[in-house]
Amino acid sequence: MSDATIPAQAEGGAVIPKPRAAHGTQDAADAAGGGTVATATLVPEVPVAAGTPGASVDPGVPPTESRLTGFGRGLARWVAALAGAIAIFTVLLLVKGANPASVYADVWTSTFTNQPSIEQIFVKAAPLLLGALAVVVPARAGLVNVGGEGQIVMGAVAAGGIGISLGDRLGGGLVMILMIVASMAAGAAWAGLAAVLRLTVGINEAVSTLLMNYIALDLLLYLIYSPWKDPHGTGQPTTAELADTAKLPYLGTTAVHVGFVFALIATAVVWVLLRYTTWGFRLRVIGGNPEAARRAGLPVALLLLSAMAVGGALAGLGGMVHYAGVEYKLRTGITTNFGYIAFLASWLARHNPVSVVVAALALAAITVAGDSLQIDSGLPAASVNILMGLVLIAVLGWTTRRKSEGKAR
Amino acid sequence: MSSLAVDVLAGAVGGGTAIMYAGLGETISERAGVINLGTEGSMLGGALAAYAATATSGSPWVGVLAGMGAGAALAAVHAVLVVARKANQFASGLTVMFFALGLTSLFGAAYVGRQIHALDPWKVPGLGSIPWVGPILFDHDPLTYLSFAVGPLVWWLLYKSRVGLLIRTAGEHSEVLLVHGYSTNLVRYVSVIAGGGLCGLGGAQLSIAYSNAWFENMTVGRGFIAVALVIFATWNPLRVMAGSYLFGAALALSPALQARGYGINQFALDAIPFVVTILVLAVLGRRTLLAAPDELRRVFETRAA
Repeated sequence: MSDATIPAQAEGGAVIPKPRAAHGTQDAADAAGGGTVATATLVPEVPVAAGTPGASVDPGVPPTESRLTGFGRGLARWVAALAGAIAIFTVLLLVKGANPASVYADVWTSTFTNQPSIEQIFVKAAPLLLGALAVVVPARAGLVNVGGEGQIVMGAVAAGGIGISLGDRLGGGLVMILMIVASMAAGAAWAGLAAVLRLTVGINEAVSTLLMNYIALDLLLYLIYSPWKDPHGTGQPTTAELADTAKLPYLGTTAVHVGFVFALIATAVVWVLLRYTTWGFRLRVIGGNPEAARRAGLPVALLLLSAMAVGGALAGLGGMVHYAGVEYKLRTGITTNFGYIAFLASWLARHNPVSVVVAALALAAITVAGDSLQIDSGLPAASVNILMGLVLIAVLGWTTRRKSEGKAR
Repeated sequence: MSSLAVDVLAGAVGGGTAIMYAGLGETISERAGVINLGTEGSMLGGALAAYAATATSGSPWVGVLAGMGAGAALAAVHAVLVVARKANQFASGLTVMFFALGLTSLFGAAYVGRQIHALDPWKVPGLGSIPWVGPILFDHDPLTYLSFAVGPLVWWLLYKSRVGLLIRTAGEHSEVLLVHGYSTNLVRYVSVIAGGGLCGLGGAQLSIAYSNAWFENMTVGRGFIAVALVIFATWNPLRVMAGSYLFGAALALSPALQARGYGINQFALDAIPFVVTILVLAVLGRRTLLAAPDELRRVFETRAA
């Protein structure tokens, strides 16, 4: 396969040799930006940046004297961005005729002041975190995985298949392990297919993963509407319920299932893999400059494929924990856009595997708040997508210093 | 059997129109070097705005304008993020999609199930009575007829007009614009926003002409299909027209078969448009990528931080 990919990569690299070189240095700075040493790395660039026209456009690019003021400024940008998002959401609520003060008060009370809701945040954060890691790992190699939704669905389908066929025949622990393996394999295969399409026939992975989301969803619907339909079920078609022994156990006396722990473990593993292993280093090299990576003799095709597959496996696991930890049945709308929200969580965290935990919890909280919104204020639950969108718009547009003056034309 | 073919093809034209408008809009945007995954959002916004404006004003043509305006406004958010703030184009587009999904859920709840005075199909006298051709091409809503003209118009705009030259230059070699004293950013703003307007028109066709209804997330992926369609049409508006009918046919197949009592699982058929897109992209392979505007290819191939 690597033979087949070389022309493609050469073709891409040969087109724009000059920007690539500039891009490499930018990316090195950017990659460092994920860690705490960001300002130290960026300092030498500052005189250059100040002299370019772009710097005058953005008043927020002063010379950085110390890490502390840099951090303070970053924090101020975040606070301002979030405040702006909430302000616009408030205006929209007013336009809708709702009383923002009472909406916020109700949502706050029913989301953050009672234990079941707080537990719900952790329950929802588990698949979100895993789905976000599925974006983080390929992003390290410069790939855009928009297919978290489909990979989560495939993971849930694989786990469901095991659960339905073997759930009450084997021991609970064994079924759980089989479900984990099957879901990760299914997610990896689904994402890997997108990587193969990119490497062999040159379909951009952002487009193929997006399309494959819908195929996965149709597969799920197909299964629950006919072959896997619970014959004893009433109303909306679902699969039969997972055997009790195969359900993921709860943490202590809470309603939070062990899937959240899986997600945290996965985060730690991803962090170590990306930071301390050769594999992680090589992915970063490819993400920075694929041409240089290939000339250095790295197996680019294999690395890209593995990055996507690992990401897909994590998303697949996300589907499994949601199925075996919460839903117990495959049903329509089992994922409720988890994959897309996870994609945004990864961008919110700038693809940093540690910040992603915070981002996933924050977006999970917004999702739970959406349910409160529906119950307390009678507004559609999907309305919180406005808030999510506004937060992301603010974060994407207004929380980074614009360092890409070289590219800005 | 022949009536099945006519049904599917007529459905292809009527149902493909929304995708065509969105695809044409996306073509303009991508020709200027900006990929917009927010097409889905612009379509949703356009669909609701058109429906609400029609319900309020009583005139579907006011609705059409409102739909275009809403689509353009949502695309403007993407344009600001991508052009002025240099945000990642994929992330920004999806963000706009979510924003639009939320907005239309919040403001659309009041319009679910509401009756409107919609754009009814109008059979062209004479032409509409031709066997086969009549029902397929000449028994549709006005926005479908309009699309017959808009496709070639976009082609003319891009390839034969001065504005089109500027748009394509922004997508191929933006530094040339700079040398000649034009603002690349301005060209991209205009292209993305105009493209969003066409997406909104597509949404309007969907809600006030094709299905005569509004419900949450009613576009179900048509905007994303449009994005893929533009790629496999190699950024050519006329091929976008042809491709959108292909998708329309795939979407029309399942209801047409079910209406005839074939016991086919609907969801297997629903997957067809997406499978077909991937297959076509795979068959066309690298040729599509070579046809891409240069600056767009950069978006695809390098990591935009």
